[in-house]
Amino acid sequence: MLKLSGVTRRYGDAVALDGLDFIVPDDTYVSLLGASGSGKTTLLRLIAGFEEPDAGELMLGGERLDGKPPHRRDIGFVFQNFALFPHLSVEENVAFGLRHRESKAVPAGSDLNDRVNAALDLVGLTGFGHRGVGEISGGQKQRVALARTLVTEPRIVLLDEPLGALDANLRARMCDELRAIRERLKVSFLHVTGSETEALTMGDTVAVLANGRIAQAQDSTSLFTQPANTAAARHLNAWNLIGGRVKGRTLDTAVGALPISQSLPDGSEAQLAVRFDQIGVCEPDQVPAGQDHFTARYLAGEFNGPTELSFFRADNGDLIQVVNHLSNPRLPDLTEGRTYALHFSPDAALLFEGAA
Amino acid sequence: MSTMTTDMPAEKGQSPAIKREARDRRRALMLLSPGVLWMVLFMILPMIMVVYVSFWTQTTFAVEPTLTTASWERFLSSSTYLSAIGTTLRVWAIVLVATLVVGYPVALFIGLFVKNRTIQTALLVACVIPFWTSFLIRVIAWRPMLGTEGAINVILQKLGIINEPLTFLLFSEFSVLVGMTQIYCVFMVGPITFMIARIDESMIEAARDLGASFGTIFRRIILPLSMPGVIVGAIFVSVMVLGEFATAASLSGRKTNMLGNIIVSQVGSLKWAFAAVAGVVLTLIIAAVITLALRIVDLRKEM
Amino acid sequence: MNTRILRPALAVYTAAFLLFLYGPLIVLAILSFQSQTGGPQFPIQEWSTYWYRHLFGLTETSRISQLPVGDSLVRSLVLAFMTTVVSTVLGTMSAEAFRTRFKGSGPVFYLIILGMMVPGVLVGLGMALLSNFAGIDRAWWGTAFVLHVVYTYPFAFLVMLAIFNRFDRSVEEASMSLGVSPAQTFRRVTFPIIFPGVLSAMLFSFTLSYDEFSRTLFTVGRELTLPLSIYGTFSVEIYPNIFAFGVLTTLFSFTLLVIYGVLMKRFTASRAGRFSGQEEAA
Repeated sequence: MLKLSGVTRRYGDAVALDGLDFIVPDDTYVSLLGASGSGKTTLLRLIAGFEEPDAGELMLGGERLDGKPPHRRDIGFVFQNFALFPHLSVEENVAFGLRHRESKAVPAGSDLNDRVNAALDLVGLTGFGHRGVGEISGGQKQRVALARTLVTEPRIVLLDEPLGALDANLRARMCDELRAIRERLKVSFLHVTGSETEALTMGDTVAVLANGRIAQAQDSTSLFTQPANTAAARHLNAWNLIGGRVKGRTLDTAVGALPISQSLPDGSEAQLAVRFDQIGVCEPDQVPAGQDHFTARYLAGEFNGPTELSFFRADNGDLIQVVNHLSNPRLPDLTEGRTYALHFSPDAALLFEGAA
Repeated sequence: MSTMTTDMPAEKGQSPAIKREARDRRRALMLLSPGVLWMVLFMILPMIMVVYVSFWTQTTFAVEPTLTTASWERFLSSSTYLSAIGTTLRVWAIVLVATLVVGYPVALFIGLFVKNRTIQTALLVACVIPFWTSFLIRVIAWRPMLGTEGAINVILQKLGIINEPLTFLLFSEFSVLVGMTQIYCVFMVGPITFMIARIDESMIEAARDLGASFGTIFRRIILPLSMPGVIVGAIFVSVMVLGEFATAASLSGRKTNMLGNIIVSQVGSLKWAFAAVAGVVLTLIIAAVITLALRIVDLRKEM
Repeated sequence: MNTRILRPALAVYTAAFLLFLYGPLIVLAILSFQSQTGGPQFPIQEWSTYWYRHLFGLTETSRISQLPVGDSLVRSLVLAFMTTVVSTVLGTMSAEAFRTRFKGSGPVFYLIILGMMVPGVLVGLGMALLSNFAGIDRAWWGTAFVLHVVYTYPFAFLVMLAIFNRFDRSVEEASMSLGVSPAQTFRRVTFPIIFPGVLSAMLFSFTLSYDEFSRTLFTVGRELTLPLSIYGTFSVEIYPNIFAFGVLTTLFSFTLLVIYGVLMKRFTASRAGRFSGQEEAA
């Protein structure tokens, strides 16, 4: 188990990580979702030991990590740009760690070759050992980088946007393979990404990094359906947030008063969150009974294949998004510039305390 | 990411970040120290020694470490030595201007008018190739060129331009200036070409579209942007010319005596203290020139 | 001025400039084939290789003594080799240190660069005074050698600095994350990748040291290096044997350049495929 407590990292006046607490359990695929510049790469570099924290503690299996040089941490790292050794062949790349590591080095010989070949088999590169690393494709480089790391049997593997440099087709295939490989090896993967779909697909646990802390860490379904705070909701890119002030059992927002289910102190700020796919659209005078609603102007639609995203502009200028699944269409035909009622079931709305 | 401040508050002893930073700094220091030590021992210390010995007492065949300003007084009151300062500055100024005037158009051509990268590189390489010949050979090569029976006189006589060979060509200050200009010109051409080639083509095109003549474009865009190259080139040429003695000794027939020549001849006659005085004067001149140039351009940024 | 006139005008000027650069060397090369009776000037009495044979002592003894290049050539080569090794090591170490930001990097940078700026005659004088003062005998392998390094180390440093600027640090981090110590990482990853740069730094150092002259003049002691032997003959009348020597030494330099080119090409060719990976990733 990897346990981070109170980890802080500053660059001059900028705070990248601010007293972050985080646990990566054993034998788990954890994905870490964060916007660019959120400090997610910094977090990985701290765990790997390329940088050290200004405060806080990193423990791996009950052993203190911080203060140890990177080569004694026994942590694998897969780089976004692969960082393959350009002067070595594929098999030399994979054999590199085993041959030259400080402790438990494996001398050149049949044992080494067997382990290298096993690693290449694992990532589906059987027979590619003699190639130069410039002679293989991007996806194959990614596999070499993975094999090179896995063959040394690290205690945990860190992947820094490992699919970022691959094209979309390849990315989907690598997702499946990464999960399959991890399950065979029973080692924890910590996979950092800026894409919410990638994070949700890959992770047994998905953690959201925002403002230098972990906003939420939970299984994909719970995270997606029940984000714990606005930061988590915002990163999932599936929730509309409507801010306002509490007045009795309603939230006074810029789009009008909306009922709330919890009782909060009068005058406190709160955010109502409604998922893109749980908003219905109709003419303003035809709101179904029992639905909360507000009005907004239709801006444009964006066709994404199986789904269609519709953009609305609320009176206060907020952008509201609604998803329509083409196999099960809920929305009427919309005319750009017209005002519609956007309605949702009171159960579908989440309430977060605090300002936006 | 690499800008790390050192003045972070140390929480509970020292944070791992501060320790790591300190370790990285120690490592850098250890890697640097042999080089720095070498430079201090074998460059700074000798230079200090020159200053020190310039105040020693010079006897006929030796120097004694009794401090005196006698050598300085003699140096500053001797017209031979003072004229050497004048010669040094004159030769430096003329060669500096000559390398700039001769070299700039070449740099302009290679950097601006040659669009093809390969030809550009080829031309630059062509300028550098003479450096693969020994410096002394390059100097001595001017003798059969400029002598009374040298190539230039022979050609000029064959063409009927002159009847008598021109004698001022060799063993004169002229030959020294020509030789130095040829030898050091490349140090001017290189940096200027580099700066001109870096100028964004679209900027010049935009100026042309706005109706600017080439003269205006040159004055307003090319000249200012090539200035760092001129300065870097000028620094190179200056330090080399100011410390010169071999070209003057080989091509002037001992008529041109620069400070470098004074040092060599004084050492030859074991007048160490006088040589040291000339050395200090030379150092001051060079330091002044470099300081002036560095005021205008930050060398570290240009490299 | 119109660029349509300027362009060809500058082209012609550049051609003239190249003639100015090469002219003396061409004349020198031609005159090196002067006959025994001809002087170091035109006209060529008769084309011959007499002065080349004279250089190697293959002619009958003449009143013109052979150029004293034998031993001094060996000394210069050994000296250049020593200088190359030391300055490349120092230059690489310093450039590596400059990858970490540290206080005082500015002054240290200028201290190193000063080595190539300061006139040879000055440090030469200083070193001679220092060795007199300390009672150390001057010798090409001692006092002259340390000054050669003072001169070439800044060049090696600048070359390596440029190489490290383009170097992708993540391959080193990858190596360390595999459990490989920093020292082994340097040996197995960093060094092989920067090797072409090291080769350039070595070439620089070697040629600069081999041709060095003003720093050596006061510090060489009794046994001379090649440039000093040549310089010694300037004070007396010169003969075409110097020209022949100039041609040969230029050819030698070119051989060195070609060897360097071949090494570079072989190195990059055998690794071409693999190296494209580094560039792509960078």
